[in-house]
Amino acid sequence: MNRVMYIKAATCISPQHSYDAEMFLAPPVSSDTGRLYVLDQDYRKYISPVAIRRMSRLLKMSITAGMQCLADANVQPDAIITGTGRGSVSDMEHFLHDMIEFKEEALNPTYFIQSTYNSVNGWLALQTKCTSYNQTYVHRGLSLELALLDAQLTLSEVDGTQNVLVGGFDEMTDYYHFVKNKVGYWKQEQINSLELLKHNDTTGTIGGEGSSFFVLSNDNDNDNATTAITAIQTLHKPTVEELQTAVLSLLTKNGLTANDIDVLLSGMNGNSGFKAFNDAMANMLPGSAIAAFKHLCGDFDTATGFGLWLANYMIAKQTLPELAIIKQGTSKAIKHILLFNQTIAGDASLMLLEQSL
Amino acid sequence: MAEKIVVTAVGLISALGHGVAANMQAMRDNRSGLRHPLHLRTVHAAEFVMGEVVHSNEEMASILNLPADHSYSRTALLALLAMQELLVGADMELLRSEPLALINAGTVGGMCTVEDLYPDFIAPGTGDYIKYIDALDCSESTENIAGHFGLKPFMATISTACSSSANAALLGARMIKQGVVKRAICGGCDALSRFTLNGFNSLKNIDRRPCMPFDQDRLGLNLGEGAAYLMLEAESSAIARGANILAEFSGYCNSNDAYHPTAPSPHGDGAYNTMQQAMNMAGLKPSDIGYINAHGTATINNDIAEGAAIKRLFGDAMPYFSSTKPFTGHTLAAAGAIEAIFSITAMQQGIALPNLNFHAPMEELLLVPTTQLVENVSIKHVLSNSFGFGGNNVSLAFSAS
Repeated sequence: MNRVMYIKAATCISPQHSYDAEMFLAPPVSSDTGRLYVLDQDYRKYISPVAIRRMSRLLKMSITAGMQCLADANVQPDAIITGTGRGSVSDMEHFLHDMIEFKEEALNPTYFIQSTYNSVNGWLALQTKCTSYNQTYVHRGLSLELALLDAQLTLSEVDGTQNVLVGGFDEMTDYYHFVKNKVGYWKQEQINSLELLKHNDTTGTIGGEGSSFFVLSNDNDNDNATTAITAIQTLHKPTVEELQTAVLSLLTKNGLTANDIDVLLSGMNGNSGFKAFNDAMANMLPGSAIAAFKHLCGDFDTATGFGLWLANYMIAKQTLPELAIIKQGTSKAIKHILLFNQTIAGDASLMLLEQSL
Repeated sequence: MAEKIVVTAVGLISALGHGVAANMQAMRDNRSGLRHPLHLRTVHAAEFVMGEVVHSNEEMASILNLPADHSYSRTALLALLAMQELLVGADMELLRSEPLALINAGTVGGMCTVEDLYPDFIAPGTGDYIKYIDALDCSESTENIAGHFGLKPFMATISTACSSSANAALLGARMIKQGVVKRAICGGCDALSRFTLNGFNSLKNIDRRPCMPFDQDRLGLNLGEGAAYLMLEAESSAIARGANILAEFSGYCNSNDAYHPTAPSPHGDGAYNTMQQAMNMAGLKPSDIGYINAHGTATINNDIAEGAAIKRLFGDAMPYFSSTKPFTGHTLAAAGAIEAIFSITAMQQGIALPNLNFHAPMEELLLVPTTQLVENVSIKHVLSNSFGFGGNNVSLAFSAS
């Protein structure tokens, strides 16, 4: 199955100026603390004052990104499919902390309810009155990719036009940062986030967060989608050779050669441990421009959402933002982008994106 | 016409025991698995009964021949034991050589372990506990299963509250129909945790007595734990390799209430539509259904909504129906898969399972479930319901092969 999905709208709440599409990453936002937090938006636009008071940042930024994406596409969703590594982890931490502190008595159920991984989906269904297919994937750094794969299945199962809302979201918390530091997730030296990829001789990366939503359709009926997702693949802890084989096979299956890939958009995160993978990708695609994004959004389980949002923008505007360029390529036009991501745990994903106009 | 999907192997563990046979025998004997917990360390242990699996973690590790320094949470241990049953007699070479999906489900992953180690996690320094640092992720058990049994499948993990493993099953069927994989092992696992117990308790959703599904006097659920998996494949593939076909997976529906973050629509519109669409896919009418394994959590809200939906959909053609949660407790992410296996096995054995602890019907509906074991009945089609927080509803239909 290799069904084409057209991106009718893309919305991203991230540490950069991404939510207001006109600003498009300007001015760049950076941090020296080893982590990046999203730029909060006006969440009251889509959430009632009563509900908003109890909501975690993750719920607010996810519901808002999802609703804004539907508004931009001007459609009602036929399905809502999301991926999240940790869901509303601040609610989970809150409930867990209180449970231990108050010895299992007199606990606030709101934190418990909101900590369930599908709470964003429930809210989005409620707000859109969407009673059809609703699914939440929770497979670490492949969660968003699994949601996208499900969207592909969903759009293949119907004859008529359908619009699926797909999203990925995760939040950074002090607890998460602290705990994962014990297993070497983060760089120990202090660096500016925008310089992350210049520090690729040490292990670790910087933390981030964000919420990205996409309206995907099986039909580009009114030609308003400029980008199509033509293939998605997940790879569980591949070796360099397995990654190379997967890339070649993906290109072949889609009738492409390495020369057709105008831009390799890479989820490289500055970790020296992944150098061999990044070198292999660059060697396989010698003529492609290389762009990167984790120095802009930080690393987190659904960071590819930021990458996909960026890729969609790059194809729509036919521009490679200066901020993202690692290496210039031979091609001026951006017709094909290979989005490659490697998670902190070593899983990987490939997405093939194509200009659809 | 899409190819038929069939179930060719199953495995489970619950408070009723390890394995399908032990579970079915317990239900035939009216033996509930609910009791005060021995393994879950909670201040509420004397207050609540639960469907706790009898084995300690050490006993499970011993059954699985694990080294002493293994890093599996209780959740993963339950998953491995359920998978062990599913894989008895399996052609492991076939599972390794042909495209396979492993689709697992969880609601809190290894919270059972993390809540004990949390003070260590948040304190400076490191220690042996560090091997459990990723145990909270629901996908940890998924990866543990693949690693332990030497499989390299396509993996996915789903979390849609109480309908999680029912969703895993329908995703597997969809992937096979689209030719993405040849086989899919689908199910879910959840271990009892203080986190979940206190979560439901803070919602005042737990009955101190053994739960009373569909009863006027019901006050809430009892929690349980367990794991269950089903192997799905195309009928033609199962026949070609001479596999034992347990049932046809004839229909399914995933839909959302879009009504409230935690409560179902009181008239059961979501449940009604979900069952209706699962039957439509299977080409069935209400009178074709021989048994419904209801979600039947015994919470005030679920049972009135699900009961209303069942009454409206089946009317005078009411099939045998029961909730088996008084036997197992509510096993959350595992419930959909456990109850799918109960439904399939009941159909195979020609029995309808009893709904324990029922005394008086809900006065709004006057709906009476099957309260005694019914034997020697011909059941051709069954429905298994799973309805969760977030309005996530799933109905699965299985048909005799």
